[in-house]
Amino acid sequence: MNSAARGNMLVGVAIVASLALVLSYLAAGGSSYAPAKVQDPCQDRPWRDPEGLQQIAEQFSLSALDGAACELGVSRETLARALATPESRERFAERYGISDAKLARAIRAGLLRAIDDAERAGAVPPFLGAPLRATVRQIPIDQAIELIQDARSLLDNLENFLGPAQGLLEQFLP
Amino acid sequence: MTAPRPRVAALAIAVALVLADSSIVVLALPEIYRELDTSVAGVTWVLVSFNLVMALAAVPAAHLARRIGPGRAAAIGLAVFAGAGLACGLAAELSTLIAARCVQALGGAIAITAVLELLPATVGSERRAVAIWAAAGATGAALGPAVGGVLTELVSWQSIFLVQAPIAIAVGVPVLAVARHEAATGIISGELRQTGRPHLLANLALAMTSAAIAAALFLLVLLLIEGWRLSPIGAAIVVSVMPLAALLGSRLGPAAGSERARAAAGAILVAGGLGGLALLPDAEVILTVPPQLLVGVGLALVLSALTETALAGRAPQAIHGGWTISARHAGVAIGLIALTPLFTADIAEQRSDAINAGTAVVLDSQVEPLLKLELAQRIEDRLEGEKGKVPTIGPVFEPLPEDPDDREDVVALREELQDQLDRGATHAFSPSFGLGALIGLLALIPIGLARRVEL
Repeated sequence: MNSAARGNMLVGVAIVASLALVLSYLAAGGSSYAPAKVQDPCQDRPWRDPEGLQQIAEQFSLSALDGAACELGVSRETLARALATPESRERFAERYGISDAKLARAIRAGLLRAIDDAERAGAVPPFLGAPLRATVRQIPIDQAIELIQDARSLLDNLENFLGPAQGLLEQFLP
Repeated sequence: MTAPRPRVAALAIAVALVLADSSIVVLALPEIYRELDTSVAGVTWVLVSFNLVMALAAVPAAHLARRIGPGRAAAIGLAVFAGAGLACGLAAELSTLIAARCVQALGGAIAITAVLELLPATVGSERRAVAIWAAAGATGAALGPAVGGVLTELVSWQSIFLVQAPIAIAVGVPVLAVARHEAATGIISGELRQTGRPHLLANLALAMTSAAIAAALFLLVLLLIEGWRLSPIGAAIVVSVMPLAALLGSRLGPAAGSERARAAAGAILVAGGLGGLALLPDAEVILTVPPQLLVGVGLALVLSALTETALAGRAPQAIHGGWTISARHAGVAIGLIALTPLFTADIAEQRSDAINAGTAVVLDSQVEPLLKLELAQRIEDRLEGEKGKVPTIGPVFEPLPEDPDDREDVVALREELQDQLDRGATHAFSPSFGLGALIGLLALIPIGLARRVEL
């Protein structure tokens, strides 16, 4: 074999080896090996079948986070981490230029959206919507943040709010 | 004077030592980054400064070697290289380290261009001298990262520079004999004819392929250490596949085909390997091996073939060798300068995407709500503690819950979150590897146009 033929063969082998590698990695999913995209918080997220207070509270919190994040133009996940501690909340507010008042408005909007979602999912009976909304509109920001993190206290508060009628709550909650 | 064989070995080691320095700190960069409290972009200048000064100084250094004598120039160059290496090892600040790296590159440029002038007379053949010089350079450049990684892990990043000084002095001893001979005889160069202008196309192709190879090496090391959290020694073992493959590639030699065919095949393999690294389908070390094999064989083929093409029929060797050094190091420096902003932006973006995806996994999981909150808080704390880096996520989940069901859920969560981080870290490097592959492919244009002797 002369030098030219050997050279052509060498180039051919290089092309085949390179294509084989690239195509096999593509076939193995190399082009899609990336972090999962998080859902747009402004889009509706279907509720899982809620069973009992804890499940409802959890779904409620997630809906409220979605609603608040949508208002603020951030992801639900970013907001969840931001609300983890007062320090993280401060960092978040500074990074995104969000005032306390704006955060409070967004969180209340999120909680109201969660009530709507809960009603639509049949997790909260319609007659409880109004008192829940009233509670959300009245509470101070720190309490609203606590609610978004764990909505069980909202439902506990509601029991107090309903007073003698609290037995109804247990009856109507799934 | 020293017998030829040890002298040839000393000259080859001098070339390998200096050219290893363009990449030897790659595996130490994360350690330097942490210890000197700088940024990724800042620490990249430890590499860029060396390559930039080498690129700028190589040709003037070659003229200096011609003027004062290659023996004397090589001795001065090695002494400056050794002294600056000590200064690098003792540097307490990034600016001092970068300044010392610049001086080190200056000494290195003087030394290796002078060595190229000394080699033909020592080995008795211009062609053999070029082959030894090119092979020593490729071996040094390929071995550098692995040696640097081992030293960083076993001793410290400073040791990388400190061990170079005695080696430079040791190889300088036979060179001093040549310098004394020059002084005694008044002969400063055995090669007085001047033939040809620099081979523009071969040097351009050298610059482009060097940029692509630098991308492969530098980015792979960062991916392994910063992305996949390997130790420097672990990363050194992984990236040693590349020099081993380069040794294999260097055995192919001229018998494998013409210089142009070897250069083309080498560029294709480098581009193919980088393409594979851009498309890694999982965060598994073993998956980096096939791409490294391609890059390693490719770099041996392309660098030696292009260096031979650039030097063939040209004199003085030191000047034309200076041009090849300048082209190679300019390619590395430009490649790093171009890629750094790209991958640092990608790392930040992918880190954020991965953390969000991981948080989504936590929020949508079946674990107890209060535990979710606690985990979200710990993730936030971890992120704050490891600003700008891909966080180590394991400690977020410690201690594991005592309840077996909860424990199982949390372990599954930890794995899912780690998977998202691995995906983010790996994906962050894809565009930069892809750009490197493109540069490697574009090098085929000057390779295709280059003639062996373009006088």
